[in-house]
Amino acid sequence: MRKFLIALVLVLLALPVAAQQINLDFPDLEDRADEVVDVTLDASMLRLGARFLRGHDPDERAVRDMIQGLTGIYVRSYEFSKENEYDRKLADRIKSQLGPTWKAFVTVRSKTKENVNIYADMRGDKVVGLVIISAEPREFTVVNIVGPIDIERLASLEGEFGIPRFTTRGKDHD
Amino acid sequence: MTAIMPTAVDLPAALTRAQSGDHDAFAEVIEQHEAMVYSLAYHFFNDRGRAEEIAQDVFLQLYRNLGTIESDAHLLFWLRQVTTRRCIDVTRRSRMKAVSLDDAGELRAAEKKHDALLDRRLKTFIEQLPDIQRAVVTLRYQEDLDPSDICRIVQLPVNTVKSHLHRALQSLRRKLGEHP
Amino acid sequence: MNLENDLRRALHRESPAPGFAGRVIQRIERDERPARPVWWRAAAASVTLAAILGGYAVHEAAERRRGERAREEVLRAMSIASEKVRIARQEVRQIGSH
Repeated sequence: MRKFLIALVLVLLALPVAAQQINLDFPDLEDRADEVVDVTLDASMLRLGARFLRGHDPDERAVRDMIQGLTGIYVRSYEFSKENEYDRKLADRIKSQLGPTWKAFVTVRSKTKENVNIYADMRGDKVVGLVIISAEPREFTVVNIVGPIDIERLASLEGEFGIPRFTTRGKDHD
Repeated sequence: MTAIMPTAVDLPAALTRAQSGDHDAFAEVIEQHEAMVYSLAYHFFNDRGRAEEIAQDVFLQLYRNLGTIESDAHLLFWLRQVTTRRCIDVTRRSRMKAVSLDDAGELRAAEKKHDALLDRRLKTFIEQLPDIQRAVVTLRYQEDLDPSDICRIVQLPVNTVKSHLHRALQSLRRKLGEHP
Repeated sequence: MNLENDLRRALHRESPAPGFAGRVIQRIERDERPARPVWWRAAAASVTLAAILGGYAVHEAAERRRGERAREEVLRAMSIASEKVRIARQEVRQIGSH
């Protein structure tokens, strides 16, 4: 029995620890925001989306390569009509969810422009998860990528692929 | 004999039918909006070939996303936004910008020669503007949109849009003054 | 000279070359599944399983719509993530250059 338990512990230690998915539930922000982006892609949706990415388009091909191996991408972005409509301590609340394997990758502070915090979930020197928190006076965005991701390659993606950013709300005019 | 007037396309019905996969109905939707989409791209690049390509891509994208369109107003907003963002994307990805003075377009009989030449110069100078200014000017003067509408399409604060518009007009006035 | 009026005139809407809608529809039809050979269609039409095949086509179309939406969501998410990482990298470079 003892040998079995030792073996079990050794097996569990050898298993790669799953990358962390963060709780991105902010119902009060959604109520107050003028525009909301809510993207929730689990592994099966990522696989489905990857099948429909255009192989002949170099940018979409790059995206398809990058999302291989990911188990989730979650985005919440809120735009407000006035400044300071959200609690700036939100970033700290998100950060408090990050476990001991997370490291602060980039911290950019600016009084007038955008504050960006990038946290990476590290296994050795490999990034297995990313949390990006961007706080502007009238916009708050969080991105959680679960799975191995190359940050430099991510930064090198250009453009918005012609996709409207906000689709879930907002007045539509003529 | 009574003249038979063509009825205006009943867009909601055509849109609904297009959403069910009716290609003829989708063609009606395209015809209703092709001038708007094409012109946004044409005035951005001052290039008819590129404008046609971008306009086709936009409508292809619309076809794939017809299920997400909720109303006529949403359709118009969607088309303006996707076209504008596609134009800006293409500009940012391409490293070489050709300034074309050759794409004169056809002169309308009623236009004075002076106006046609001025139009051509304006289009060339607009093409030389930075991408966001170009987008803002086109949306303002082609689509007659207010900054409060434009800001939602380009997803920038309204004061930023006003500032871009102001700088674009200043730049155009300066260029027109330098090249009478 | 009234620049705003001149701009309205210069930026009036223009139509694409005639047949634009047709060209778009052609591209759509080209992207969709290729037509099955005549003999296959004749065989399928004579089989009472035509209703089941119709159901399969509906399922395929729905799957395609889901896939296209998933594709858009992937691109939207990656675009936003990429933009934020780029902003951070730019800021770090600017700080480093001072």
